[in-house]
Amino acid sequence: MHPANLRVAALTLLVAASSGFAQSTPTAPADPEATPATTIEAVTTTATPVPPAAVAPALVGDSKEGRLRVYTCTGCHGIAGYRNVYPTYHVPKIHGQNAQYLITALTSYREGQRKHPTMQAQGESLSDQDIADIAAYLSSAAQH
Amino acid sequence: MTLTSKWKLSSRALFAVALLGAMSMAMGATQGDRSAGATKSRPCAACHGADGNKTIDGQYPRIAGQYADYLLRSMQEYKNGRRDNAIMAGFVKELNTQDLADLAAFYSTQKGQLVDLSHLK
Repeated sequence: MHPANLRVAALTLLVAASSGFAQSTPTAPADPEATPATTIEAVTTTATPVPPAAVAPALVGDSKEGRLRVYTCTGCHGIAGYRNVYPTYHVPKIHGQNAQYLITALTSYREGQRKHPTMQAQGESLSDQDIADIAAYLSSAAQH
Repeated sequence: MTLTSKWKLSSRALFAVALLGAMSMAMGATQGDRSAGATKSRPCAACHGADGNKTIDGQYPRIAGQYADYLLRSMQEYKNGRRDNAIMAGFVKELNTQDLADLAAFYSTQKGQLVDLSHLK
Protein backbone atom coordinates (compact mmCIF):
# COMPACT_ATOMS: atom_id res chain seq x y z
CA MET A 1 0.00 0.00 0.00
CA HIS A 2 1.19 3.54 -0.82
CA PRO A 3 2.17 5.54 2.30
CA ALA A 4 -0.37 8.26 1.44
CA ASN A 5 -3.17 5.68 1.20
CA LEU A 6 -2.04 4.23 4.54
CA ARG A 7 -2.37 7.66 6.17
CA VAL A 8 -5.88 8.07 4.76
CA ALA A 9 -6.83 4.63 6.03
CA ALA A 10 -5.48 5.41 9.50
CA LEU A 11 -7.36 8.72 9.59
CA THR A 12 -10.57 7.02 8.49
CA LEU A 13 -10.17 4.47 11.26
CA LEU A 14 -9.56 7.22 13.82
CA VAL A 15 -12.66 9.17 12.75
CA ALA A 16 -14.73 5.99 12.80
CA ALA A 17 -13.49 5.14 16.28
CA SER A 18 -14.17 8.61 17.67
CA SER A 19 -17.65 8.81 16.14
CA GLY A 20 -18.34 5.37 17.56
CA PHE A 21 -17.37 6.69 20.99
CA ALA A 22 -19.68 9.67 20.60
CA GLN A 23 -22.57 7.37 19.72
CA SER A 24 -21.93 5.14 22.73
CA THR A 25 -22.33 7.99 25.19
CA PRO A 26 -25.81 8.01 26.74
CA THR A 27 -26.44 11.64 25.99
CA ALA A 28 -24.76 12.00 22.58
CA PRO A 29 -25.25 15.58 21.44
CA ALA A 30 -27.54 16.02 18.44
CA ASP A 31 -24.98 18.24 16.75
CA PRO A 32 -22.32 16.02 15.07
CA GLU A 33 -19.89 18.99 15.12
CA ALA A 34 -20.00 19.12 18.91
CA THR A 35 -16.56 19.40 20.50
CA PRO A 36 -15.22 16.49 22.59
CA ALA A 37 -15.27 18.78 25.66
CA THR A 38 -19.07 18.96 25.46
CA THR A 39 -19.29 15.18 25.21
CA ILE A 40 -17.13 14.66 28.29
CA GLU A 41 -19.13 17.22 30.21
CA ALA A 42 -22.36 15.43 29.27
CA VAL A 43 -20.96 12.08 30.42
CA THR A 44 -19.77 13.55 33.72
CA THR A 45 -23.15 15.14 34.38
CA THR A 46 -24.94 11.86 33.68
CA ALA A 47 -22.62 9.89 35.95
CA THR A 48 -23.04 12.17 38.96
CA PRO A 49 -25.01 10.20 41.56
CA VAL A 50 -28.21 11.94 42.55
CA PRO A 51 -30.26 10.74 45.53
CA PRO A 52 -33.31 8.83 44.17
CA ALA A 53 -35.71 11.00 46.17
CA ALA A 54 -34.47 14.13 44.40
CA VAL A 55 -35.08 12.85 40.87
CA ALA A 56 -38.12 10.61 41.41
CA PRO A 57 -41.19 12.37 40.07
CA ALA A 58 -44.08 12.60 42.51
CA LEU A 59 -46.23 9.58 41.69
CA VAL A 60 -49.96 9.75 42.13
CA GLY A 61 -51.15 6.74 44.09
CA ASP A 62 -54.25 4.88 42.99
CA SER A 63 -56.08 3.71 46.08
CA LYS A 64 -58.13 1.12 44.12
CA GLU A 65 -54.91 -0.54 42.93
CA GLY A 66 -53.55 -0.24 46.45
CA ARG A 67 -56.61 -2.01 47.84
CA LEU A 68 -55.69 -5.03 45.69
CA ARG A 69 -51.98 -4.85 46.55
CA VAL A 70 -52.47 -4.87 50.33
CA TYR A 71 -53.93 -8.36 50.22
CA THR A 72 -50.42 -9.71 50.89
CA CYS A 73 -50.04 -7.38 53.89
CA THR A 74 -53.05 -8.92 55.63
CA GLY A 75 -51.00 -12.08 56.30
CA CYS A 76 -49.39 -10.24 59.22
CA HIS A 77 -51.03 -6.78 59.49
CA GLY A 78 -54.52 -8.21 59.14
CA ILE A 79 -54.48 -10.38 62.24
CA ALA A 80 -55.57 -8.43 65.31
CA GLY A 81 -52.85 -8.50 67.96
CA TYR A 82 -50.40 -10.43 65.75
CA ARG A 83 -46.83 -10.40 66.99
CA ASN A 84 -43.45 -10.39 65.35
CA VAL A 85 -41.13 -12.95 66.95
CA TYR A 86 -37.39 -12.77 67.74
CA PRO A 87 -37.78 -10.17 69.01
CA THR A 88 -41.40 -10.22 70.12
CA TYR A 89 -43.49 -7.10 69.56
CA HIS A 90 -46.81 -6.33 67.91
CA VAL A 91 -46.87 -5.91 64.16
CA PRO A 92 -47.87 -2.25 63.74
CA LYS A 93 -51.31 -1.01 62.79
CA ILE A 94 -50.89 0.51 59.34
CA HIS A 95 -54.35 1.48 58.11
CA GLY A 96 -54.92 5.19 58.68
CA GLN A 97 -51.18 5.94 58.59
CA ASN A 98 -49.87 8.97 56.66
CA ALA A 99 -49.09 8.34 52.98
CA GLN A 100 -45.66 9.95 52.82
CA TYR A 101 -44.49 8.06 55.91
CA LEU A 102 -45.65 4.76 54.38
CA ILE A 103 -43.84 5.56 51.11
CA THR A 104 -40.62 6.30 53.00
CA ALA A 105 -40.99 3.13 55.11
CA LEU A 106 -41.60 0.79 52.16
CA THR A 107 -38.90 2.40 50.03
CA SER A 108 -36.40 2.16 52.90
CA TYR A 109 -37.19 -1.53 53.36
CA ARG A 110 -36.76 -2.08 49.62
CA GLU A 111 -33.39 -0.29 49.58
CA GLY A 112 -32.26 -2.14 52.72
CA GLN A 113 -31.96 1.04 54.79
CA ARG A 114 -34.66 -0.12 57.17
CA LYS A 115 -34.10 -3.66 58.31
CA HIS A 116 -36.68 -6.38 58.69
CA PRO A 117 -36.28 -9.62 56.71
CA THR A 118 -39.96 -10.04 55.80
CA MET A 119 -40.55 -6.39 55.02
CA GLN A 120 -37.34 -6.14 52.97
CA ALA A 121 -38.46 -9.14 50.90
CA GLN A 122 -41.90 -7.59 50.39
CA GLY A 123 -40.39 -4.24 49.46
CA GLU A 124 -38.18 -5.81 46.81
CA SER A 125 -41.25 -6.94 44.88
CA LEU A 126 -42.73 -3.43 44.75
CA SER A 127 -42.25 -0.67 42.17
CA ASP A 128 -42.47 3.01 43.09
CA GLN A 129 -45.98 3.02 41.62
CA ASP A 130 -47.00 -0.03 43.71
CA ILE A 131 -45.75 1.72 46.84
CA ALA A 132 -47.62 4.92 45.97
CA ASP A 133 -50.80 2.90 45.37
CA ILE A 134 -50.48 1.04 48.69
CA ALA A 135 -49.83 4.31 50.54
CA ALA A 136 -52.87 5.92 48.88
CA TYR A 137 -55.11 3.09 50.04
CA LEU A 138 -53.72 2.72 53.56
CA SER A 139 -53.82 6.46 54.24
CA SER A 140 -57.50 6.57 53.32
CA ALA A 141 -60.23 5.86 55.88
CA ALA A 142 -60.37 2.22 56.95
CA GLN A 143 -64.05 1.71 56.12
CA HIS A 144 -63.66 -0.09 52.81
CA MET B 1 -51.97 -37.63 100.39
CA THR B 2 -48.56 -39.04 101.18
CA LEU B 3 -45.68 -36.91 102.29
CA THR B 4 -43.84 -37.62 99.04
CA SER B 5 -46.71 -36.49 96.82
CA LYS B 6 -47.12 -33.31 98.89
CA TRP B 7 -43.47 -32.57 98.43
CA LYS B 8 -43.72 -33.21 94.71
CA LEU B 9 -46.71 -30.85 94.45
CA SER B 10 -45.05 -28.03 96.33
CA SER B 11 -41.83 -28.39 94.38
CA ARG B 12 -43.82 -28.20 91.17
CA ALA B 13 -45.52 -25.04 92.35
CA LEU B 14 -42.19 -23.57 93.30
CA PHE B 15 -40.80 -24.44 89.90
CA ALA B 16 -43.77 -22.79 88.18
CA VAL B 17 -43.31 -19.59 90.19
CA ALA B 18 -39.60 -19.56 89.44
CA LEU B 19 -40.27 -20.11 85.75
CA LEU B 20 -42.76 -17.23 85.60
CA GLY B 21 -40.27 -14.97 87.35
CA ALA B 22 -37.50 -15.91 84.96
CA MET B 23 -39.76 -15.36 81.97
CA SER B 24 -40.80 -11.87 83.03
CA MET B 25 -37.16 -11.00 83.68
CA ALA B 26 -36.12 -12.37 80.31
CA MET B 27 -38.77 -10.30 78.55
CA GLY B 28 -37.33 -7.25 80.30
CA ALA B 29 -40.69 -5.53 80.28
CA THR B 30 -40.27 -2.04 81.71
CA GLN B 31 -43.66 -0.86 82.85
CA GLY B 32 -44.53 2.44 81.19
CA ASP B 33 -46.30 5.22 83.07
CA ARG B 34 -48.61 7.07 80.71
CA SER B 35 -48.93 10.23 82.82
CA ALA B 36 -45.15 10.47 83.06
CA GLY B 37 -45.12 9.87 79.32
CA ALA B 38 -47.53 12.76 78.77
CA THR B 39 -45.07 15.11 80.47
CA LYS B 40 -42.12 13.75 78.52
CA SER B 41 -43.99 13.94 75.20
CA ARG B 42 -43.81 17.72 74.81
CA PRO B 43 -40.84 17.76 72.40
CA CYS B 44 -42.51 15.02 70.29
CA ALA B 45 -45.62 17.17 69.81
CA ALA B 46 -43.74 19.51 67.46
CA CYS B 47 -43.96 16.90 64.69
CA HIS B 48 -46.36 14.17 65.86
CA GLY B 49 -48.96 16.53 67.34
CA ALA B 50 -49.89 16.72 71.03
CA ASP B 51 -51.85 13.46 70.91
CA GLY B 52 -49.69 11.69 68.32
CA ASN B 53 -52.46 11.88 65.75
CA LYS B 54 -52.33 15.43 64.37
CA THR B 55 -48.96 15.24 62.64
CA ILE B 56 -47.65 18.48 61.14
CA ASP B 57 -47.23 16.75 57.78
CA GLY B 58 -47.42 13.35 56.16
CA GLN B 59 -43.76 12.43 56.49
CA TYR B 60 -44.20 11.98 60.27
CA PRO B 61 -46.13 8.91 61.35
CA ARG B 62 -49.29 8.92 63.36
CA ILE B 63 -48.48 7.17 66.64
CA ALA B 64 -51.69 7.62 68.64
CA GLY B 65 -53.20 4.23 69.41
CA GLN B 66 -50.23 2.33 67.99
CA TYR B 67 -49.09 -0.75 69.93
CA ALA B 68 -46.87 0.26 72.86
CA ASP B 69 -44.31 -2.49 72.26
CA TYR B 70 -43.97 -1.50 68.60
CA LEU B 71 -43.43 2.15 69.57
CA LEU B 72 -40.87 1.10 72.18
CA ARG B 73 -39.08 -1.10 69.68
CA SER B 74 -38.98 1.73 67.10
CA MET B 75 -37.51 4.19 69.60
CA GLN B 76 -34.92 1.63 70.70
CA GLU B 77 -33.94 1.10 67.06
CA TYR B 78 -33.55 4.86 66.56
CA LYS B 79 -31.39 4.88 69.69
CA ASN B 80 -29.13 1.99 68.69
CA GLY B 81 -28.91 3.09 65.06
CA ARG B 82 -30.62 0.07 63.52
CA ARG B 83 -33.22 2.50 62.25
CA ASP B 84 -31.50 5.47 60.70
CA ASN B 85 -33.20 8.80 61.22
CA ALA B 86 -31.25 11.87 62.27
CA ILE B 87 -34.23 13.66 63.83
CA MET B 88 -35.38 10.72 65.93
CA ALA B 89 -31.83 9.72 66.89
CA GLY B 90 -31.31 13.20 68.30
CA PHE B 91 -34.48 13.06 70.39
CA VAL B 92 -34.07 9.58 71.87
CA LYS B 93 -30.33 9.94 72.56
CA GLU B 94 -30.88 11.41 76.02
CA LEU B 95 -33.80 9.16 76.95
CA ASN B 96 -33.44 6.03 79.09
CA THR B 97 -35.48 2.83 78.87
CA GLN B 98 -38.00 4.10 81.43
CA ASP B 99 -38.54 7.31 79.44
CA LEU B 100 -39.13 5.32 76.25
CA ALA B 101 -41.57 2.98 78.02
CA ASP B 102 -43.45 5.99 79.45
CA LEU B 103 -43.74 7.60 76.00
CA ALA B 104 -44.90 4.33 74.46
CA ALA B 105 -47.52 3.95 77.22
CA PHE B 106 -48.74 7.51 76.65
CA TYR B 107 -49.06 7.39 72.84
CA SER B 108 -50.49 3.88 72.69
CA THR B 109 -53.36 4.97 74.92
CA GLN B 110 -54.23 8.09 72.90
CA LYS B 111 -57.25 8.01 70.64
CA GLY B 112 -56.20 7.70 67.04
CA GLN B 113 -57.29 6.46 63.65
CA LEU B 114 -54.77 3.62 63.23
CA VAL B 115 -56.26 0.17 62.77
CA ASP B 116 -55.00 -3.21 61.56
CA LEU B 117 -56.16 -4.79 58.30
CA SER B 118 -58.36 -7.45 59.89
CA HIS B 119 -61.41 -5.74 58.31
CA LEU B 120 -60.13 -6.91 54.91
CA LYS B 121 -60.16 -10.59 55.81
